[in-house]
Amino acid sequence: MGQPMGDGPIRDAGIFGAACLCGIASGLFGIGGGTLLVPFLALFFAFGQHRAQGTSLIALIPPTGALAFYAYAKAGYISWHTGLLLIPGVFVGGMLGGWLAKRLQPRRMRQVFAGLMLALGVWEAAAAWGR
Amino acid sequence: MTLIVLLLGLAVGVLVGLLGIGGGVVLVPALVYLLHMDQHLAQGTSLFILLPPVGLGALREYWKRGQVDLRAGILCALGMLVGGYFGGLIAVPIASRNLKGLFGCFLILAAFLLWRKPQAENRTIESSSDGSAHG
Repeated sequence: MGQPMGDGPIRDAGIFGAACLCGIASGLFGIGGGTLLVPFLALFFAFGQHRAQGTSLIALIPPTGALAFYAYAKAGYISWHTGLLLIPGVFVGGMLGGWLAKRLQPRRMRQVFAGLMLALGVWEAAAAWGR
Repeated sequence: MTLIVLLLGLAVGVLVGLLGIGGGVVLVPALVYLLHMDQHLAQGTSLFILLPPVGLGALREYWKRGQVDLRAGILCALGMLVGGYFGGLIAVPIASRNLKGLFGCFLILAAFLLWRKPQAENRTIESSSDGSAHG
């Protein structure tokens, strides 16, 4: 698996399978899925960091979460008002971040972010099950 | 309150562009803790935000430099669409509290993966410079 795969049906099937896993996480946790997709592409399919991130972003352009969204919407788990307010900020911020990524070696940034997520994850799990 | 929400969107967006991720990983806890949403509501709202192509602006920068694999991207989109359906089905009946705990575990896993990436990057550079296969 560590060896870069050439173009071909096996690589395609592998990418599709990995994306299915990312999709399950996406639906289960209400996230985009890029958090898993970027490391998967980098670790298993020998993508460079920037290429993995760019490919993850294009995979997120179509509404890949539409079916998961439908399941939540049916159960009434959507705050439309807050969602609509957040969309323009995320879009503009995304342009800013893409521009920044060109200028930064985002390695340090990623490690800070990883630390933050670790702390947040421990906090969430403890808050849910700790009592 | 509206201002907080707008600023939160902007901050999440910067991470989207910088790290090539969807942003939900940050959005969900932010919605839970800053806006006091229930775990299910936060996750559903996060999915709603991700429906329009919020990453399009970020993508433009990567596209200009040819750092996008279109074929792999399409395959990933299809896979995530299918997987997302099942993920949604699994999540809805889970108790909010357990879902929150699972989300925490997922964040821990994601943190490790995120931390690992620089090593993979180095490996790729090494292998391409000395041409040796590994793994």
